[in-house]
Amino acid sequence: MDAALKALAEPRRREILRLVWTRELPATDIADHFAEVTRSAISQHLAVLKTAGLVTERRDGTRRWYRADRNEMKKLRTFLDEYWTSGLERLRDVAEAAQHDKEKH
Amino acid sequence: MAQLVREIMIEATPETIWPFLTEPDQLIEWHGTVAEIDPRPGGIYRVFVAGQFRSAGEYVEVVPLEKVVFTFGWEEDGHPIPPGSTTIEITLHSEGDKTRVRLVHSGLPDDAIDDHGKGWAHYLERLSVRISGGDPGPDRGSEGQ
Repeated sequence: MDAALKALAEPRRREILRLVWTRELPATDIADHFAEVTRSAISQHLAVLKTAGLVTERRDGTRRWYRADRNEMKKLRTFLDEYWTSGLERLRDVAEAAQHDKEKH
Repeated sequence: MAQLVREIMIEATPETIWPFLTEPDQLIEWHGTVAEIDPRPGGIYRVFVAGQFRSAGEYVEVVPLEKVVFTFGWEEDGHPIPPGSTTIEITLHSEGDKTRVRLVHSGLPDDAIDDHGKGWAHYLERLSVRISGGDPGPDRGSEGQ
């Protein structure tokens, strides 16, 4: 999960993810979208997204196609959703233990 | 700007809960691993979580036993939520012998909202929360399952 979070911390990687959110695109089209960024930089961003499990890659001859792995995103979303809840649950646990200690004394 | 709200009922008084929000040693019992905090308006809020993330901000409002408000973000280049860019408000409402704890994280980025990105916007909001929450702890959470 940390790999995914770090992958998403970079604005261009989030932009790439939006591009391939509903459609599969070849790496060249993705790179063309970023006029100010080199192709090799885009390739590296795609590699990070792929390693983090946020996009899938398909090879077709010499082309590489990418699309968002929405199943993975859904898992991550579920995890994140539960995360904050679990933080407050930890607060509840430690506070209730402290309350219990107070009442014993 | 998106916001996220979480609430929980705790069987403890605000007097018991308050130090867990304002004393560094007690804060890290549930949130983060190292805390450097000075809970008064203008005071620093800096909490290390999950080793690699440093959250930072500044206290805006502190009403003992009732409310703590601080700005919040991440000290990491290119992070979507830089220090001070969002606000967290935690309020305590006494209800009998219980306390309702309400956490509102507001000012979250919504730059992800686009024509086909409703799910993504929703996701980014949750991401912000995951980051704000920090270390889930080894014995909690369901990641990797």
